[in-house]
Amino acid sequence: MIRSIAWSTATHYGVLVPGGESFARPAPTPDEIIAVVGRPVKYFSRMTPETRSCLCAASVALRAIAPLPDYTEIGVVSAGAEACIKADETYFRDYVSSGRSMGRGNLFIYTLPTSTLGEVAIALSLTGPAMYLHADHLPLASLIRQADQLIADGEAGIMLALWSDSEAAVCVTIEAGDAQSPPVALRELPPLQLANQLRDKVQSR
Amino acid sequence: MKPVIAQSGVVTAYGWGLDSLWDGLMSGRTAITSSDRFAERGFVSNQIAVVPDLGVERGDSRSMAMLRRLLTPIIGQINPKTPLILATTVGEIEFVEQAVLDNKPEYAQRARPLVLLERVKQLLGLTGPAMVLSSACASSTAALTRAAAMIRHGEADSVLLVTCDAVSEFVYSGFSTLLSLCESPASPFDCNRTGLTLGEAAAWALITPDSSSLADQSAPAILGWGNTTDAVHMTAPDRNAAGLSRAITKALAMSGTNAADVDLIAAHGTATVYSDAMEMIAFRHAMGAPRPTFSIKGGVGHTLAAAGLVQVLVAARAMELGVVPPTVGLTSPEPAAAGWVFGVPVPLKKSRLTLSTNSGFGGVNTAVLLGGGER
Repeated sequence: MIRSIAWSTATHYGVLVPGGESFARPAPTPDEIIAVVGRPVKYFSRMTPETRSCLCAASVALRAIAPLPDYTEIGVVSAGAEACIKADETYFRDYVSSGRSMGRGNLFIYTLPTSTLGEVAIALSLTGPAMYLHADHLPLASLIRQADQLIADGEAGIMLALWSDSEAAVCVTIEAGDAQSPPVALRELPPLQLANQLRDKVQSR
Repeated sequence: MKPVIAQSGVVTAYGWGLDSLWDGLMSGRTAITSSDRFAERGFVSNQIAVVPDLGVERGDSRSMAMLRRLLTPIIGQINPKTPLILATTVGEIEFVEQAVLDNKPEYAQRARPLVLLERVKQLLGLTGPAMVLSSACASSTAALTRAAAMIRHGEADSVLLVTCDAVSEFVYSGFSTLLSLCESPASPFDCNRTGLTLGEAAAWALITPDSSSLADQSAPAILGWGNTTDAVHMTAPDRNAAGLSRAITKALAMSGTNAADVDLIAAHGTATVYSDAMEMIAFRHAMGAPRPTFSIKGGVGHTLAAAGLVQVLVAARAMELGVVPPTVGLTSPEPAAAGWVFGVPVPLKKSRLTLSTNSGFGGVNTAVLLGGGER
């Protein structure tokens, strides 16, 4: 069951909570993102813009459904057609321009599709499953179905489904419930379009 | 419905097929060699475990070259509607290298994992749902758990899992930068271990219900699994092993068994100082008394995304034959691993359950419990 849907773009962020308090606001500054996370974020300065965006969306989405049960393990799955290609290019270009014998560790660690998930998990203490799962057909619906299944198998009490690219991040929180009748229908749109649609929906309320 | 590994195939630095891999490990000799491939780069190591006789055509990637040869024998043998899961960490990363080195930015898009997924679908003539799964060095084990879940939930009659990762300058330079590589072939769980050796591999497995006509009675069953995250550090493991311990606990709970039923452990065993130590803490915590434990990475190197499925296939062979393969490169076990790991083959007295574990960057951990063909 979808509990909340948060988003973060270069110009706005917010959350849609079925039956709860939703909001849409101008994009947060880095300090505001840290405030949203609500605790010190150790390596915030080295995070890529996409990772910061994902962290913001995940924090807002989780905060919207607080308080969380103490016993609940929270996992995170993600999808995005670009995976981490831009981070890959950034690392390798830097390595080549530095003489091609030594790269930068702080760039290399972002060259996995799950790098963002790792940072989000550390910042928010998420200890459940963490996987990048991108289907070639209806990837967002597939991501949410996989999250549902992980909950059904007892792998987590709550799952975050992160749908992101370099322009936007959308985070859906899912909890055990009637997966067949989600209270919010999500359209298969690129992250930025989906975020804009969510903002419009909240503002029209 | 019990998911089983009905069919499989593998290629590693020992060569093509599980027999080559098994015989290589049992011989105790490593497939890791000194290489001049990156000689001019000045990396901290020149040790690599590469797939032999791999013809890579111009414009192709090593990953696709491995997969093309590995999967060709099953072209036309898989139901076209079979769901496909591709497990990889960096896929065809050579295209990113090319994009930068040749100043052709458009090449980088060819490195997207979805492109490789489509190429595998086309190669096998598959038309069903397909997805890329990446979970760092636990990718193929995590993919195995998703495939097993799809079978258990009745979503599919069979699921094809394909995994690959190749050794590239991109990856080699990164691990060299992190000072993770050792100057000699990796020696997992050894008291003198200093780091990992990168290797390359590809593997596939067809996961079906145990009732499927595609699976025989000896097919290893996937009885339980657990996926967790440390949430501690991006590259270093949790020194307390809390994440891996929880993954093992979850797997045991899902399978309805307990640690006393585990007779064999296929460890991630990268040969890095902290990762091996973390695993031993988890094993000792979960199992109490020693169990025969092995790592294949002294033989085939750390094959990244493919590592999990490759070690599962070795574990299945070990259960079938009743022999624990040696941990190649092990001469003097670290104190915590003494009595668990061995540098020579040892008989496996019972093979009720095998635990296979992997961990990776981002703090991911996966544990899988396999049952032998005693159903």
